[in-house]
Formats: sequence, C-alpha cells, structure tokens
Amino acid sequence: MEHRGVLIEDTFAEAFPMRAARLIITAANERWAHQAATTLTGFATSVIACKCEAAIERRLTPGETPDERPGVSVLLFAMDTEGLGKRLVERIGQAVLTCPTTSCFDGLPDADRRIQAGRALRVFGDGFQGSKVVGGERYWRIPVMDGEFLVQESFGAVKGIGGGNFIILGTDLRATLAAAEAAVDAIANVSGVILPFPGGIARSGSKVGSRRYKSVPATTNDAFCPTLRPLTTSSLPADADSVLEIVLDGLDEASIRRAMRVGVDAACRPGVRAITAGNFGGKLGPHHFHLHAIMSDSDVAEAPRA
Amino acid sequence: MPDATTLMLRSPLTEPIEADGITADRVAGLSEIEVARLPVWCGRQRLPLGDLFAVRGGRSRQIRITGDVRHVAGIGTGMTSGDIVIDGHVGANLGAGMTGGRIEVLGSAGDSAGQAMAGGVLIVRGSAGNRVGAGAPGSSRGMSGGEIVIEGSVGADAGARMRRGLLFIGGDAGDTIARAIIAGTVIVLGQIGPQPALGSKRGTLVAVGGVNIPVTYRYACTYEPPHVRVALVYVRRRFNLTIPPEVVGGRYRRYCGDAGTVGKGEILAWTSA
Repeated sequence: MEHRGVLIEDTFAEAFPMRAARLIITAANERWAHQAATTLTGFATSVIACKCEAAIERRLTPGETPDERPGVSVLLFAMDTEGLGKRLVERIGQAVLTCPTTSCFDGLPDADRRIQAGRALRVFGDGFQGSKVVGGERYWRIPVMDGEFLVQESFGAVKGIGGGNFIILGTDLRATLAAAEAAVDAIANVSGVILPFPGGIARSGSKVGSRRYKSVPATTNDAFCPTLRPLTTSSLPADADSVLEIVLDGLDEASIRRAMRVGVDAACRPGVRAITAGNFGGKLGPHHFHLHAIMSDSDVAEAPRA
Repeated sequence: MPDATTLMLRSPLTEPIEADGITADRVAGLSEIEVARLPVWCGRQRLPLGDLFAVRGGRSRQIRITGDVRHVAGIGTGMTSGDIVIDGHVGANLGAGMTGGRIEVLGSAGDSAGQAMAGGVLIVRGSAGNRVGAGAPGSSRGMSGGEIVIEGSVGADAGARMRRGLLFIGGDAGDTIARAIIAGTVIVLGQIGPQPALGSKRGTLVAVGGVNIPVTYRYACTYEPPHVRVALVYVRRRFNLTIPPEVVGGRYRRYCGDAGTVGKGEILAWTSA
C-alpha cells in the first residue's frame, strides 16, 4: 500500500514480552526533574547490553504530580520482574537519589505486582531514615545533604512489550533523518510508549547473531546497510541510500499500535522511499504489528491520549 | 445497592444517648424495620433506635443522619466499611476504634472523635472536642491508622499516643497535642496550645500557625520537607480543602525531640521567612 506517496511494505514488526515500571520524578524545577530523568535513562537503549530499556515518556505539570512540583514520567523495561527490580534500585539510587531536590514516585499505582525499590534504598539513610504513610502509600525519607530524598516504598510492575519498530528507507541521510525526527516528535504525544534509542532513533539496526563471530549476540543488519548493497543480500530499493529505525517499547499493544500509526504517518515525507519493519519470521516474540493493518485501521488513529 | 438509609431525629434530644450500634457495615444487611429495632441506650434504659429516629431505607452501606445529635455518642464505633454522613453536630466517641469506611460530619463533633481508630477516614467539617485520635482511657496507644481531618479547631490532647496515621487540623489545637506520640503525622494549620509533642518517640507534628517549641526539642535546620508537601497536597486534593500554596511549598524549621525519649520525633514549624 502507499501512504502519501510512500510505499508501506506488507510486513510486520515483531515484539516480545517485557516487564515495565513507570517512575514519576519531581524536583524543584523542570531543569532538575529533567536532569534526573535523563541520567536515569542514560545507557538504557537495548536490553541486550544495558540490561534494561528506558526513556522519558513525557513531562508532567505540577498538577499531575503527587507533590505539585514539575515532573517527568519515565518508563523502564526489563526482561523479567527480578531484573526490573535490580535496575530500579540501581538507577533510582544512582541517578535520582543523587540529583538535587528530587523525589521519586510510582507511576503505576494500580499494578498488583510490586517492587520494593524504595524499601531497598532506605538503608542509604544508615538508620536515620524514616517513613511516612500518606493515602495508604508508604514513603521513605532519606536524609541527604540538601535536605531529604523522598522515595515511594514500592513501584508497580506490569507486563510490557519491547521491540516494536518501523524502518524508514530514504533517498539520502538528510531526508531520512528529517522523517525520523518527525516520527519521534509525533510519537512524543502518545502516552504509554517510549523510544529508548538516542533521540528516539536507531541507525544501527541489528540482526540476531553473527555470520562470523559466534560469541556476538547481535550484529549489523547488513541487509539494510546501503554501503553493503553489492556485498550482501540487500533489502534496499535501488534509490534508498539511507535507513533509520524507530524502536518502541510500550505498556500494551494498543499504545504501540497508536505510536506506530502516528510515527509512520509523520515519516511519510518527501525523500522517503518506503517504510518497512523488522521481524524474525515470528520466532522472536508473540506480538506482531502489521504495518498495513495499523495504517488502515481508523480506530488506531482515533484513540485518545491516556 | 439502594440509596442511603436515613435516620431523621424525631425530636430534640435532652439526655445523652449511647448508640455504638450505628455503623454502616452493620446496617448494610438490615431492613428498615431491623434498623429501627437496633438498640440504643439512654442511661440504663434500652430503647429501639426507631423511638428516636425516623428510619427510611435499609440494606444500604450508607447511612445519613439528620438532626442535631450532639447528645448521641459512639456513632460508627468499630466500623469496618461503608459510609456515614451526619448532617449536623454529633456527640462523643465518633468512629471510636473504626478500622475502615468513611464518616463525615457536616457540623462539629464532641470529645474523643476517632479514639483508637485503626483505619478508614473521619472528616469533621466543623470543630471537635478533646482527645481527637487519642487512645481510650488507660490504653497505651492512640490512633494506629487511618485519616482524621478536622476542618475547624480541636481541644486538648489531640493525637495523644498516636501510633500511625494522619491527623489534620485546619484550625487551632489545644494543650498537649501529639503527647507521647509513637509515630504518625499531626498537621495543624492554626495556633497550637502549650506543651506540644511532649514525650514523643517518633512521629511528626507540623505546626503552621505558630507553636512554642518545648525545651526538650533541638533545632536542626530550616528546609522544605518533601513529605509534608506530599501530605498537604494529598489532603487538599482528597478532602477538597483550601491550603495556601506558601504553606504547601514552604520552608519549615525542624526541631528534633523529645530529648526525654529516643528523640526521633520532630516538630516542623512553618516559617514565612
């Protein structure tokens, strides 16, 4: 099918189950809330090497946060609940606890499964810590040099989905990058979804394993590398000389579908030859996002922001 | 679930009535006639509730009481769930020992409201008497959970020996508030009377409208306690109260004490500076 003159290939993105948590980080002002969130989500692009995937979901106004300060919502994904718990303790402890004026709250209060990350972090208080129960939720007060760090005792863990994706095939780097940036900007308005790669865009799409190095779990997706067109079995059209990928993690299929819809729509710009998606023939995961279905389903586009 | 069971006072009361059987969870399974047969006590005399109140409805987890019931004590005692709304003043021991549910008084409450409460929510839109959220006479612990919100003022000894929970007072508080508290949070927007938080082990007394710090408390610093901010935002949103932004986001002088005990308690005195 074509969408505004861009070929949408008849294929699907293949995604897999993950475990997810949502953190609400607040601070004295937007600068420090954003700083803590940026630090927490650093080096969290791919679960393969980073042990988790994380990114800012959106900024929050004071009216949306538990302490009426500026805040940032962050989604963090790991392969299982145990791993998610470890990453939460590490990253809240090293990136939020350390950041001036911040507090950290759970963003999934309805989740049945709870991770006691705040409880684990309380020992930093060396016996001087205390707790308060407000509205049925326990918060730990950890004394720090600028006052107190407040962290919620438990964080919700829910089933999530990792690895949603679409791939933009453009005639040159400038046009492809502009299309990818437009997609990222459009997806920023969809809640429940993050784009874990730098700025939301991955240039190093990968394939599973290696043709040469047995110990390497993922290597370059040579079929989409324009410089290798004559050297490998290329998947690129003749006039596509640049490729960028948008990878999405989400709290549910609907969120990813919605984000893919608005992202692909925004990416269909002049200079874009085709949009495709990455899959492993159905062997990687149970969540399949078919591009044609997503782009032709009007319900996907109409879904409101949560 | 049908509409609320309403109890309308038939005529003004002149003698004290003990009505600790009026709880939302107990009434939930009773018909109108059965509710009217519930016993209340006038001195040594046992009376059916229907002699004092016109009962309408039944089999509801909501009770609405109309009329001036300031002579009626013990409403909501030991309640575990459901709602009671009292459209007027109410007497002593309101919600004593309750573990769940919600009681809202549109007028004022007598002494010992929320005595030894362990859970649930108690809201008094007017003022309340002495010993709000304190323990029963002779007991070692006051309230051990739940939330008490008094929009007006309270008498003496509020929150005495409190173990856990939140006690919010929108007006002034009398003598010896938060006496010997073990934990929990007491917030007072108005003036606080003499000898606050004496003998406290842990727990927090937030004093917004002025407080004389006992000599057994030591000054630590002036800062913005994040948990106070969370608690005030929560109370404001949940109970639709007006709390000035400069109080929610304000600076507080922290005093640690009581030095006569383990000394892990605190008084946080709001400062406009």
